[in-house]
Amino acid sequence: MVHQNASHSLRFLGWGPFLSGFVPGLLQWRLGQKQRAVLAFVSCTVLFFAGWMLVRERLFYWALLEPRTGGSDVLRAVARFGLSTALPELLNLPAHMLGGLLAWDGGPTGERLWRMPRDLEHLGAFLTGASGMLAAFWSAAGHWQLRLQRDGGDGAPAPTANPALCAGLSWLVPGLGHARAGQQGKGVLLGIAVTAVFALGLVVSGGHAVDRATASVWWIAQNLFGGGSLFAALFTGPLRMVGEPFDLQLGIVLCTVAGLMNLVVMVDAFTVAERSVFPLRRAQEAVA
Amino acid sequence: MSLLLRLGIYVPVLFLIAIVITGQHQTTAADTVRAAVARTVRWLVWSAVLLGCMLLLEVLFIGW
Repeated sequence: MVHQNASHSLRFLGWGPFLSGFVPGLLQWRLGQKQRAVLAFVSCTVLFFAGWMLVRERLFYWALLEPRTGGSDVLRAVARFGLSTALPELLNLPAHMLGGLLAWDGGPTGERLWRMPRDLEHLGAFLTGASGMLAAFWSAAGHWQLRLQRDGGDGAPAPTANPALCAGLSWLVPGLGHARAGQQGKGVLLGIAVTAVFALGLVVSGGHAVDRATASVWWIAQNLFGGGSLFAALFTGPLRMVGEPFDLQLGIVLCTVAGLMNLVVMVDAFTVAERSVFPLRRAQEAVA
Repeated sequence: MSLLLRLGIYVPVLFLIAIVITGQHQTTAADTVRAAVARTVRWLVWSAVLLGCMLLLEVLFIGW
């Protein structure tokens, strides 16, 4: 094991690696892992365009800041070059920009197309969003390799599991990353906690809490629980709203809280695997 | 929504959030649950204090 204190473990890897993380595979390429680099780029791009085929111009409607006519000129100028500020697609920058460029039409017809619901758009929204999340996990894997090179030296042991993989597994199934990293009991408990809050949100909202078209900003956080977001995209999202749900607002908030809870779970899963190589020193050892 | 129903949602959700928060500092499920119970009680006390403060402000500025 490589013992470190907290301040050392938090040392920034630099702006170059940080910005490289927005291009899937670029970090792996810089690390000399050519096959993994190609796999990262292809997997993120294929996932994005599988969703893009279903949603196309809708990406601009779901953007954090909609580049509509009469709005910010800067936003419209940026959107013209393919950047729609849609999250988490933005994390997969090349595919996101290409998709945006292909779909951009700044005229009234284009704006009507942004607002027009599509068949299977829930699934399309999940797939384009998943490409951004996948890009983030590939980036995390690259950063982990850089961290090993910087702080591990030749004698660094292998981690119990790849930290980025643990985070990615937790995105799909909360707690699965902990199980993979060796904390099965805690993983099950965390998984139950996140899933219960998400399920409660869906129940009280009659299944309509996770809908990118009607609550796009909330969806960004809800999508941090990928498994729940996929379930909603496939089963509850396409449901027709019949009558007034028990409490739609409460449902939206609960599903969003579940997504944010899963962000904590993902980061913890990464940390558990990371500390199998770089454990934090105990306070007494640090003082000594 | 009745107060009982609100509490019936608020307290369990608070406990589930506490599980995730305290889980970061524990390694086993049993330790996590124990820490989460203590944290939930603490958060409930703070919730009651906050509620009391808001009621007090309401009485001061709006009246009974």
